[in-house]
Amino acid sequence: MGLERLEEVRSAFLADLDAAAGDGEAVEQVRIRYAGRKSGVLLELTAALRELPNEAKRDYGRALNELKKLVEKGLKEARSQATADSDSKTVNRVDVTLPGRALPRGAEHPVHLVRRRIEEIFLRMGYDVESGPEIEDDWHNFEALNIPPDHPARDDQDTFYLPGGNVLRTHTSPVQARVMESRKPPIRIVVPGRVYRRDSDLRHSPMFHQIEGLVVDEGITVGNLKATLETFLHALFSDDVEVRLRPSYFPFTEPSAEVDISCIFCNMKGCGVCSGSGWIEILGAGMVDPRVFEAVGIDPERCTGFAFGLGLDRVAMLQYGIPDLRQLFAGDQRLTRQFE
Amino acid sequence: MNFDAAWLMDLLSDAPGIDEVADALTACGFLVELREEGDGGEIWDIEVTTNRPDAMNHRGLAREAAVASGAKVRPLEFNIEENDESVADFASVEIADPTMCSRFCARVIRGVAPAESPEWMQRRLTNAGVRPISAIVDVTNYVLLELGQPLHAYDLAKVGGAKLVARQAEAGEILVTLDGETRKLEAGMPVIADAYDVVGLAGIMGGADSEIGDDTVDVLLEAANFDALTVRRAARKLGMHTEASHRFERGADPDLPPLAIDYAAALIAEFTGGMVCEDRIDVRPRPYEAHQLQTTSAKVTGFMGLDVAMDRLVGIASGLELDPVVDGDTLTVTVPSFRVDLEREADLIEEFVRHIGFEAVPSVLPVLSTPPGQRNPNWELVDRARDAAVAGGLAEVMNWSFIDPSADNELESYVLCPGPSIELDNPLASTQAIMRRSLLPGLLAAVRDNLNQGERRIAIFEQGRVFWRSDDGPAESERLAFALVGAAPVSDGMVEFADLKGIAEGLIRRLGLHEVQWRRGGSPWLDEGQGADLQTDDGRVIGCAGLVADSMAKKWDIKASVFVAELDLTPAAESIPLQQFEELPRFPAVTADMTIEHSTSLDYAELTETVRGLAGGLVETIDLMGRYAGKGLPSGSVRTTIRMTYRAGDRSLTQTEVNEQQEALRRGLSDRLGVSFA
Repeated sequence: MGLERLEEVRSAFLADLDAAAGDGEAVEQVRIRYAGRKSGVLLELTAALRELPNEAKRDYGRALNELKKLVEKGLKEARSQATADSDSKTVNRVDVTLPGRALPRGAEHPVHLVRRRIEEIFLRMGYDVESGPEIEDDWHNFEALNIPPDHPARDDQDTFYLPGGNVLRTHTSPVQARVMESRKPPIRIVVPGRVYRRDSDLRHSPMFHQIEGLVVDEGITVGNLKATLETFLHALFSDDVEVRLRPSYFPFTEPSAEVDISCIFCNMKGCGVCSGSGWIEILGAGMVDPRVFEAVGIDPERCTGFAFGLGLDRVAMLQYGIPDLRQLFAGDQRLTRQFE
Repeated sequence: MNFDAAWLMDLLSDAPGIDEVADALTACGFLVELREEGDGGEIWDIEVTTNRPDAMNHRGLAREAAVASGAKVRPLEFNIEENDESVADFASVEIADPTMCSRFCARVIRGVAPAESPEWMQRRLTNAGVRPISAIVDVTNYVLLELGQPLHAYDLAKVGGAKLVARQAEAGEILVTLDGETRKLEAGMPVIADAYDVVGLAGIMGGADSEIGDDTVDVLLEAANFDALTVRRAARKLGMHTEASHRFERGADPDLPPLAIDYAAALIAEFTGGMVCEDRIDVRPRPYEAHQLQTTSAKVTGFMGLDVAMDRLVGIASGLELDPVVDGDTLTVTVPSFRVDLEREADLIEEFVRHIGFEAVPSVLPVLSTPPGQRNPNWELVDRARDAAVAGGLAEVMNWSFIDPSADNELESYVLCPGPSIELDNPLASTQAIMRRSLLPGLLAAVRDNLNQGERRIAIFEQGRVFWRSDDGPAESERLAFALVGAAPVSDGMVEFADLKGIAEGLIRRLGLHEVQWRRGGSPWLDEGQGADLQTDDGRVIGCAGLVADSMAKKWDIKASVFVAELDLTPAAESIPLQQFEELPRFPAVTADMTIEHSTSLDYAELTETVRGLAGGLVETIDLMGRYAGKGLPSGSVRTTIRMTYRAGDRSLTQTEVNEQQEALRRGLSDRLGVSFA
């Protein structure tokens, strides 16, 4: 008799209880065996206390109490477990696969989703986000950007004309000119916004959206432009995309570049999206033409800068796989609600 | 533009493979967009930018390919055999207007017989996208495609007075062009005339009357240089675009006519058995004066962010035929006549960047001393409105900024009409002719289209600008409008005014427009009984909301009930002040309901204001619990149940106190408003 016996009982109780788990009747049998008022094992163990020498009583008593608590707790839990199991058929069982009761959910247009993502990337790089009027004067939309009247580039930008010599801006670039007129370098801005061209087919819409970037300071280099575009495009698409700058021509930058990314759909193997070339033309860029600086009153001998622009709608189409540009402006809520 | 790849390769010596040449062209700015099989070789579709007319021909492009791929351009070699008849005895040329024509060369080839051009030439022409016609016409096209000089061949017998005059057209002159169209000319258009009549549109297209035919015996050949702007304006006015005008508009080489005309004359003589008369007519009122440009390798290095040695610059400049001269760190080049795009140092530096290539430049992010980036207040504003609309369960749509004039007319009577409308000078369609003065017309069209798609429940919004004519010129401002149709967003029933108002209130809160009052609205756009104007304290209407009037719904072919609201975002707060914490109440609140029976002419707003006035500071909030009209009530009466939350800041209110308050409130309401209680 003594502590060893307590340990034996403890192990036996836990084993019996385990065997009886989930069965209310069996749990009751275990209770009677151990905690029964008439012949429970615990009674026997309590009686044994009296037989012990005084010096052993203290430890034995304490251990016995522990055991009693364990038995009480164990039985209680086992009983409630067994009850729960046996009652389960009458419980209000919810079909958790039924649809939830929907709260009204709204959704932003995919073009704005893209705009805000791109703004966020540039805000983190320290750019201001600017805006400007959609009805522009000829000076800001064309002349200040080195596109004089009769310049062939005016053909490429089939313009909507308004009374008073105004136009619907054909690009977001006039905001560049406005910012440079009103602010001294260093300048670091992006300009998202709605633009218009007189054109409509699968890939052209008379109304679309661009984001434009401009950096002006002393000592801005072609390498700065390249690094900025790479950083941006990696953040927008993925670090894996390759970025290629090809010399091109825009009136307001010199040198100018068309910027391609490696095709995100076929990994440069050639597919329908990249017309088999492995490259997707994504933006136009270049070093600000000194004539633009002269037009807005910045000394081209002191400052250099770069600018770039891309179509927000085009990015939305690429990223979300929307085939027809005009779908974006059809007012169909089913399109937007896919972006809840 | 299509190029015959084999022809291009034939012009190069020491060239790498064809693939390398294609890649080299793309790398230096001439994107090879498409390579496809042609007759006896590939056809390359190459994008030549508008500033590079010198590369809109095989030899010019070969020059770029040579520099980019380390090859050389083969020199142009041909023999011209002249007879001893002087050209001056057969034809003469006059430039009456030297601003439109800086140089005019002519030659006469006598005794030609009808012939086809050789098969190799026809192949090259076909691959480049030009249809072979006859030896003489083919040669002019071929020389254009090889050298870039537009040429024109006349049947000398049909040139009156055997004389060509470059002059401006007089108003009303008429010319039938080679394409068979009769063109009525405007004063100032550049033309070529014979001694009597106009025989061609200078730099654009020849006339039908002097066309080469099978009976042509003597050919008068023209190679001239016409002013870019003059040609461009005339071509635009006439709606014409030709191989010739394309090049002249962008700037043709003023020193190319002599070489091109000799080359063409030699080929024509060879293919047709004709004889070239001695001498070339060359009228040249404004000789080309070559100018020089300078830069330094230090400047190129600083600009690119890449160390560039002078040797490299010299190599590129030589390949581009810029005749480079080095003096210390300074590089001086002489701009050849074919490079009309090289005007300034920046243009020269561009050449180096193109041929050194962006790929060689190391990427280095700029370091700028600018403060943290900020969003312009306008973007903050519209995105705040957009977020609130999305939080209200609305899906964003985008409609055209231009609308149909008939829809625009309806806006004259609209409460939020900002001013007179602005019409487009050149709309794409008559239904897109007016800049929108409200978002509602577009939104209703979207509602209709969504209904037609079978959507039964519509909750959409648009955020965008409206435009009008102000005293200071065109004006624009930001708006947000939304529309609800079908099942209500939160309750089980159909959408009601309260649903619309709930969303609008959320928007107004987010925009910081706390003082907005809802007033019964009178706009014909909205139903007489279910329309509201939103007014600021100073009485300015900044929005409206309600059920679209039947008459308007009909105009948009909508049968369903449509609830709409439009808000002018201009008065919205630029920034929302930081919310300040209010100490949480320390004493419990007591609520008490009251059901009031009153006339429908008593507004809820007036009722609650009166309650507040009577109850003093103890009423914390008043909530609408329900409203009942109908059975058991006289018509024109409603029963409104409100719940008052009473709370004192310094003690726990007792039920007795609240009961007394309620009793006093009933008496007060009865006295002031003549209401009764259920």
